[in-house]
Formats: sequence, C-alpha cells, structure tokens
Amino acid sequence: MKKILAFLAISMTAGYALADAPITGNVQSRCVVTTDTPGVYGNPNAYTLTTSPSDGGVLPIVRFDVTLADAYYAQITTPTEFTSSPSLSDTVTWTGSTEVSAVSDATNMGDYETNKTTFGATTQYDLTATGSTWFKSSSAAAYGGNKAFPGGQYSATVEAKCIAQ
Amino acid sequence: MLKRLLPLAALVFWPCYSYSESITPYFGITGNAATGGYSWNMDNVFPEPPGLEVNGVFYSYTPDKLTEDAFKVTVGNEGVWSDTEDWTGTPGGIEVRKVIGLPNVPREAWGDGYIITEGTGTVNDATVIYSYKVDPCFDPQFDPNCPGYVIPVPVVPDLNIEIYDATEDEYVSLNDEEKSLIEENEEQLDKEKEEEEEEAEERKRKYRMEMAQSLLGGAELEAENQRIIAMNAAQQAVVNTQYITATIPGGVYKENVVLIDNKIDDNKNGLRNGLAQQLLHEQMVGMQYNN
Repeated sequence: MKKILAFLAISMTAGYALADAPITGNVQSRCVVTTDTPGVYGNPNAYTLTTSPSDGGVLPIVRFDVTLADAYYAQITTPTEFTSSPSLSDTVTWTGSTEVSAVSDATNMGDYETNKTTFGATTQYDLTATGSTWFKSSSAAAYGGNKAFPGGQYSATVEAKCIAQ
Repeated sequence: MLKRLLPLAALVFWPCYSYSESITPYFGITGNAATGGYSWNMDNVFPEPPGLEVNGVFYSYTPDKLTEDAFKVTVGNEGVWSDTEDWTGTPGGIEVRKVIGLPNVPREAWGDGYIITEGTGTVNDATVIYSYKVDPCFDPQFDPNCPGYVIPVPVVPDLNIEIYDATEDEYVSLNDEEKSLIEENEEQLDKEKEEEEEEAEERKRKYRMEMAQSLLGGAELEAENQRIIAMNAAQQAVVNTQYITATIPGGVYKENVVLIDNKIDDNKNGLRNGLAQQLLHEQMVGMQYNN
C-alpha cells in the first residue's frame, strides 16, 4: 500500500504544470490638462506677433483639473520657436509669461500666483488644492532687426504639463 | 430651370415646426442673476413654469483688491446655500469660477440671492447662473397624459349682459308719434303687469282657501271617526252584558267497554254481502270477453 502511494506521489510530481498569474492595474489620472481657449497672434506691426488682446491677439488659456491635492506641478512653457512658419532668414526674439487666470477655490488656490516659480520660458505652479485652475499665457515674437515678418501662416505652441511631485 | 425649381426647393426645405407640449422633464439654465446688483429676487430669475427644481449654481467674479488687504466674498441664497471665498493675501484680478451642486431644491425654498463682501476690495464681473429642472406634470392638469389628471368640469360663465334700451339713450332723438307709441306701449306693459300680479294674487288666495278647507275637512273626518269609535265601544259594552259566567263540569271519561273473549267474529251478513259483491265483480269482468 505504501508503494502505491509512493508511485502516485511520483506520478503527480512528474505531471505538474506551470502557470503565470497575470496582474494588471490601472492608474487613473488625477490631473487633466485641457485647452480652454486657443491663442491667436495679432500683428500690430510688421515685425511683431503678439497674443496681447490690445494688439488684436487672443491669450491662450489652459485648464488643470486636479482631484488629488499636493500631488502635481503644473508646468507651462511659452513658445520659443514657431512650429510652422514661412522661411525666416533672421532671428526671432521671444518673450512670454504665464499667470493664473481663474480658480475654482479662491481660498485654497489664491496663493498659486504668488508661489509660482519661473525658469526660462517655463512657469511652474504647485497644485496644492483640488479643483480647476485656469492659466493664461502671453507670447510675443519680434523679428530680428525690426525686419518685417514674411507673409504666411505662423504657428507656435504653449506646452502645459502636469508633473507628479 | 434652376430659377423655377428654387421656389419649390425652398418650399420643400422650409422649416416646419410641429409644436407639442411634452410631459417629459426638461433642463435649463437661468440668465445671470447678478446683472442688477449684489442682491436679487428669485422670482425675477426663475422662469414661469411651476415644478421647477434647482440642481446647481455656477458663479464667478473677479475681486479687485490689493494682496495685503483682507477680503472675503460670500455668494448665496437665503435658506438654501452660501459659499465664502477668503481672498486675504491673494492678489486681485484672479477670477473665481465655481459650480455648486444642489439636490433639486424646489423654487418655493429659494430666498433672495446675494453677494456680500467683507474687508477692503470690490467684486467685478459677477455672474450667478442657476441650473434647473422642470417637471411639467407638477400640476397634473397641465396635460391629460400627466398622472393624476382629472377631466375638468367646465365653468359656466355668469353672463351679466346689459341690455341696451334705446329709449334710455340720451343720444336717441324721437318724434312725437314715436314717443306716443312708446308711452302707449309702456302703459300696455304696465297694465299687463298689473293684471298678471292680480292673477297671481288671486291664485294665491284660492290656494290658501283650498288649503284651509282641506284642513277643516280633515278635522270633521277625525271627529266623525272618534264618534264611531265611541259608538262601537258603547255597543260592545251592551253586548258584553248579555253574556253570563258559567262553569262547565269536566273530568276524565274512561273506556268502559270490555272485549270478553279477546276476538271478534266475522259478521255473517257482511260475508254474504261480500260474496255478492265478488260475484258481481267476476260477472262484470267476464262481460268484456263476450264480445
């Protein structure tokens, strides 16, 4: 009887199977960036393109929706080059800035603007509260030596990123 | 050819609206309640239909203040909701946009709306918009398809028509003949009216007389009935005196006949009679076979 049991045991050991148990997971983003208002360059003079409303431009606005506080930075970078334009033979001088346009919770988001940090064309905000924040950027491009921009279509991009802390 | 087809095409594609009121609840938003100032009556904000419930409020404004100034802004409606933003230490010029969800608050619960500020600063470009739902069947009589609809009973209007009388019109001028005719007509009408009144009075008088007579007749009948009852009672008393009181002797009458030998012999006379009857019967039965 013992022998039979031993045989069965060997038999079962010899017939074992390997299996990989998959583990999947899904991390839902708790920071969503949306273009609220596309920008438009105005052309107040031959050598300047600007989003300033007083010069016929429209300020681009992006919105950050955050459902987890103290977990993300908002990084917004104003353009430093055209993504598409006619052929330019001279240099373009870029200026730009970003500021808080609106908030959904003034009590907890009111210090976003005062606590922002800027490095180069990039402005960073610490998103310390849940809710929505609208950021507006201004951008201006001046053609070198006060030359006139060649006629054509000019495009540039404001880059907005939500970075986990 | 194209010009000829154009009107036809226009007719075909002309917008055609078939309006029918639906009983399905619908949603909507109000206009900006804060256009007239920092306080508003909701009757001027909500639309007309009953059965309106508010499910949310959106508000926005931009404070004008210095960063170091203490400033608080409260937006709300009396008895329903309020929301305060503390702008102290915050630069002005940053707009706040907020959506407040509400659990379908009926219009009757809404008090006046307000924006109240505390501290140094002002509020610019304030917007307060209410999101609502309307149930058309809040009043079941709105539509026959509404649950609880009751077929209405038509109200008969009380017509108070003023009859025009040309004779009373000061602007109608009549000559002598027409005036005479009208006077005669009025006299005739008065006379007929008097006659009708006299006839009515006569009818009333006759009716009263008949009623009085009827009552008198009833009294006489009742008196006669009482007299008959009295007479019957007297007669019965006389009859009762003709009877006497007597005792009938009674008791038990026992059987006194005794059968001595415990048997009764047949009656011979009866036997003879029975035999004759039997013979007669057989003779009658046999007669039917003789034919």
